[in-house]
Amino acid sequence: MTPKQTTADLIRQLAASPAPRPFRTGVVAGGLLALLGISLGAFWLVFGIRTDLASAWLLMQVQAKTVLPLFLAITAVWLAFGSSRPGGRIVLWPLAVPLLLGVFLVIQRFGQVAEGSLQAEALGQTAFACLASITVLSATPLGVGIVMLRRGAAIRPALTGTLLGIAVGAGVTAGYALHCTEDSPLFFVLWYGLAIGIVAGCGGLLGHRYLRW
Amino acid sequence: MQPRVEVRLQQDKLWETLLARANDGDGAAFARFLGAVTPTLRAVIRRRGEALPADQHEDILQDVLLAIHLKRQTWRRDAPVRPWLYALARYKVVDAFRKRGASINLPIEDFADVLPEENAATPLSSRDADVMLGLIDARSASLVRAVALDGKSAEEAGETVGLTAAAARVALHRAMRRLSDVAERMMK
Repeated sequence: MTPKQTTADLIRQLAASPAPRPFRTGVVAGGLLALLGISLGAFWLVFGIRTDLASAWLLMQVQAKTVLPLFLAITAVWLAFGSSRPGGRIVLWPLAVPLLLGVFLVIQRFGQVAEGSLQAEALGQTAFACLASITVLSATPLGVGIVMLRRGAAIRPALTGTLLGIAVGAGVTAGYALHCTEDSPLFFVLWYGLAIGIVAGCGGLLGHRYLRW
Repeated sequence: MQPRVEVRLQQDKLWETLLARANDGDGAAFARFLGAVTPTLRAVIRRRGEALPADQHEDILQDVLLAIHLKRQTWRRDAPVRPWLYALARYKVVDAFRKRGASINLPIEDFADVLPEENAATPLSSRDADVMLGLIDARSASLVRAVALDGKSAEEAGETVGLTAAAARVALHRAMRRLSDVAERMMK
């Protein structure tokens, strides 16, 4: 058995080894954006953007179903990067802003819908397609994002993974919303929220497993 | 109390300078950085590590030093180095204890508390201090030397160079600020 390495030896050895490659969140962001663009671009090519987008965009709830996820994605990715460096302060409440706005839209819609059609409107026609599309399109960017964040040093790996999941899920959702023609907040807050939640959960599990160091 | 804060500020600057240079590929700077933080880490591990026999403490310290090396690029140059270092070390120490089947209760404040009392042996190497003090005027340098390195109060230090206590404190403060600038310039 070789004698134990002394700490002084270790320090000498570490000092002699080359500095690791820099951890650049800008590169990670660029990679994520490119992958999201490819996934969504392929999706739009195959399934198309809604044909009435120009006229529908005048409606506030149509803007909301793209803008709220977009805001959520940007906030979450920023927090995911922040939580990948030790010692930073992580403030999670901004994530609640789009959620609360979504809940507000739902409550507002409650007041307008006739009692009998509530359930039909919430369930919609495309709930399964919505869940499946968002989760499937998120898979690659999420996986690659986790791998890229392994270069960071998350001291709460599950949290960082969850934040990345929210970011990717919400980013995909913002793009998917341009395809989806169900414009009731009852539908999209529920199903988009659920889809983003699924991706976030996957991110949390992946983070717990693969962002340890 | 005041000089202790000043010492720490000066030490922060030095650590940040060293780590920044280390990340640019300066191995000697990295060796000095590791050497400078080791007493703190060792003291914290020893103080909280009753759950494991003392001979494993050094192994854990080495785990932490290795982690500092592997993750050193996650420190942002515009961020203070101390919170980064303590959060990283805490994560790694807790992890190392868990791997060895023991638990450790390690409040992050422990890292801050240990300084500079238990770290007195190597607050900063005298060579670093000499180099930096050589770059500011002689009176300020002697003030800093008396207060930060010899542990005198600002009043005592002021007397030796013919300043009142208040004037000495002001001069000391300015000297520290100049030293910060010097440290920044050394980084470039």
